[in-house]
Amino acid sequence: MNAADPLLTVRGLSVFFRAGLDVVQATSGVSFAIQPGERLGIVGESGCGKTVTGLALLGLLPRASSRVTGSAMFEGQDLISLSPGQLRRVRGRKISMIFQEPMSALDPVFTIGSQIGETIRTHFGVDRGAARRRAIDALASVGIPSPERVHDSYPHQLSGGMRQRAMIAIALVCEPRLLIADEPTTALDVTIQAQIIDLLMDLSARTGTALLFISHDLGVIAETCTRMITMYAGEVVEDAPVDAALVRPRHPYTSGLLRSLPRLSPRGAALPSIAGRVPSLRDMPAGCRFAARCHHALPDCDKAQTLSEVEAGHFVRCWRHDVLELPGALTDLERVA
Amino acid sequence: MTDAIVSVEDLRIQFPTQNGRETVKAVDGVSFSVQPGETFGIIGESGSGKSTLGRAVVCLQKPTEGRVLHHGTDPNSLPGADLRRRRREYQIIFQDPNAALNPRMTILRSVREPLDIIGTAPRVERERIALGMLDLVGLPAEFAARYPHELSGGQKQRVNIARVLTVRPKLIVCDEVVAALDVSIRAGILNLFADLQREFGLTYLFITHDLAVVSHVSSRIAVMYLGCFMELGPPEALLRRPLHPYTQALLSAEPIPLPSSMRTGQRIILTGEIPSPTNPPSGCRFRTRCRSAQDVCAAEIPTWREIEPGHFAACHFAGSATGTRS
Ligand SMILES: Nc1ncnc2c1ncn2[C@@H]1O[C@H](COP(=O)(O)OP(=O)(O)OP(=O)(O)O)[C@@H](O)[C@H]1O
Ligand SMILES: Nc1ncnc2c1ncn2[C@@H]1O[C@H](COP(=O)(O)OP(=O)(O)OP(=O)(O)O)[C@@H](O)[C@H]1O
Ligand code: SF4
Ligand code: SF4
Ligand SMILES: [Mg+2]
Ligand SMILES: [Mg+2]
Repeated sequence: MNAADPLLTVRGLSVFFRAGLDVVQATSGVSFAIQPGERLGIVGESGCGKTVTGLALLGLLPRASSRVTGSAMFEGQDLISLSPGQLRRVRGRKISMIFQEPMSALDPVFTIGSQIGETIRTHFGVDRGAARRRAIDALASVGIPSPERVHDSYPHQLSGGMRQRAMIAIALVCEPRLLIADEPTTALDVTIQAQIIDLLMDLSARTGTALLFISHDLGVIAETCTRMITMYAGEVVEDAPVDAALVRPRHPYTSGLLRSLPRLSPRGAALPSIAGRVPSLRDMPAGCRFAARCHHALPDCDKAQTLSEVEAGHFVRCWRHDVLELPGALTDLERVA
Repeated sequence: MTDAIVSVEDLRIQFPTQNGRETVKAVDGVSFSVQPGETFGIIGESGSGKSTLGRAVVCLQKPTEGRVLHHGTDPNSLPGADLRRRRREYQIIFQDPNAALNPRMTILRSVREPLDIIGTAPRVERERIALGMLDLVGLPAEFAARYPHELSGGQKQRVNIARVLTVRPKLIVCDEVVAALDVSIRAGILNLFADLQREFGLTYLFITHDLAVVSHVSSRIAVMYLGCFMELGPPEALLRRPLHPYTQALLSAEPIPLPSSMRTGQRIILTGEIPSPTNPPSGCRFRTRCRSAQDVCAAEIPTWREIEPGHFAACHFAGSATGTRS
């Protein structure tokens, strides 16, 4: 592989769910790429398809009620067409995932140590003693103060922050090339969130693990990632370097999300909000999905929009991107400075 | 001041732990008062006692020690009918938009319900008030016949607000009311709270763990940690010149959506976690995580002092250069 080859290239990823007699489409043609060691963020409001995208990459969606189309090339293999057995060998070893609520990923009846040891033995075939030493090292490497004690604890005996650290230790013990982190700090207090973000940044710098960081919090994405994707109603509407997206977003939805943040408005002043709501999966407009809420909509917006590259590395799904001057995350004063 | 709509005097609230052997000191000596028409913000991490304090303010939680006064009188000392009226004037709205909505009731019935319980106005009048409140919170009449599952989270939170407004409250405790909502929706709900405050002269006790939200809405902010206030002041002073090391750490931990070149300052990362409220540290309860802690911090409880006019803190060194005791 040459240096410019992405680690993961996702093309046209769509996820469908069976709902009663109908089929609903949760995501449509999601495409993006992650370079080795890159930290990519996905933002967007509840239900826009962030989690489903992460789960689809790892084959973790319910097989009976869902269908995935498109491709996801990772080290020469298409993750979407791998068998469950082949996926199991990739999962945990090459790509790991951590979640908002560690309790859902940790098994309550086994100690942290036996869960992390299991991963180590599956992927490296070492004996129990070696697995234990490696597990304790892994727990220490995520900043757990007494790794031996935590090794022998059950998940419910740990605080939320410690559980999240333990889950990160399990996810990283095999030194995967990609870590998918789905809202890993959303359930945590802000001072604990700062610890976990610090830890993830440090680990990714130390090991070169690429990060796909899913969050609805633009501040968290800005602090952790170098690129960010904005999703809306199951589609990627913008894909850009974080700094570019924050300073000069090119999609009205990204701009709207940034402008609604309280820090940009004087205290007590009305906040710019995005009126209306996300269209239902059963009733997706054929044209721009954001049109009903967009201040800049014109009659032609009812045509289907494509994701096009408007500057090197900056992609936008809005045909009006050229004429719109959209404000970003800076106050008027900051923009002048 | 005696015209305070709420005054809380050395409030303490304790719960037995599950095994019954220890007590959780959820609120451990808090005093403040709220003036009519203001928005008093309370920020703090999970388990710091914010909700317990909020529930005590609306008489849903009995103090273990200390008092909560409504307009200078203890509502629990009032005769039954007066207590009920007083409790209507002090309302609370919760984080979960579903919590107060019955999934089998139409939106209109949910909004009308508090008036049904009072039962004085005729039914048409109750219906009229309920529809008026729905309109006021930005839900057109077509929503009246719908059920909660047909509404988005933001719309359900509007229903909860309408429901509370029917009984004409004077003060509303807003307990994490926007935490479950998407940012784009959150802005609309915060604007609604501000509009209603202007229109009805409402007073808010605004509880949140979101610094950006609390600083946008509040006229004063209290920072809570392990059942106690650490700092209290107007937002400008508290955000620009935080006096307490805990406030400083909270401010510095807040992720800010700014490009990398514009982010300033080294972040203060607190080590460790919040100690258990059953057995808070001696002296200053923040000392186990404080970068500036000295011997005195373990030995003596810092007093609550007014460092600048209207700006209070509980730290031995607040207002002085670190290391020299004031
Ligand atoms: N197992 C499932 N069966 C049917 N529909 C599903 C399933 N999982 C997710 N969906 C639907 O797919 C859409 C995308 O959901 P997803 O969980 O990816 O959203 P999200 O962006 O992660 O939101 P949040 O910020 O709330 O976590 C939603 O409309 C959701 O209801
Ligand atoms: N009814 C109860 N019985 C026993 N303990 C309780 C009860 N209510 C609250 N507590 C405890 O009191 C402490 C303070 O809880 P409280 O809910 O007031 O915190 P909070 O600041 O609102 O936290 P959060 O941000 O998580 O909502 C916690 O340790 C909690 O476990
Ligand atoms: S295509 Fe039209 S409606 Fe859609 S974001 Fe662009 S301007 Fe707005
Ligand atoms: S009293 Fe001591 S431990 Fe407490 S905040 Fe001040 S310096 Fe830190
Ligand atoms: Mg999700
Ligand atoms: Mg609470």
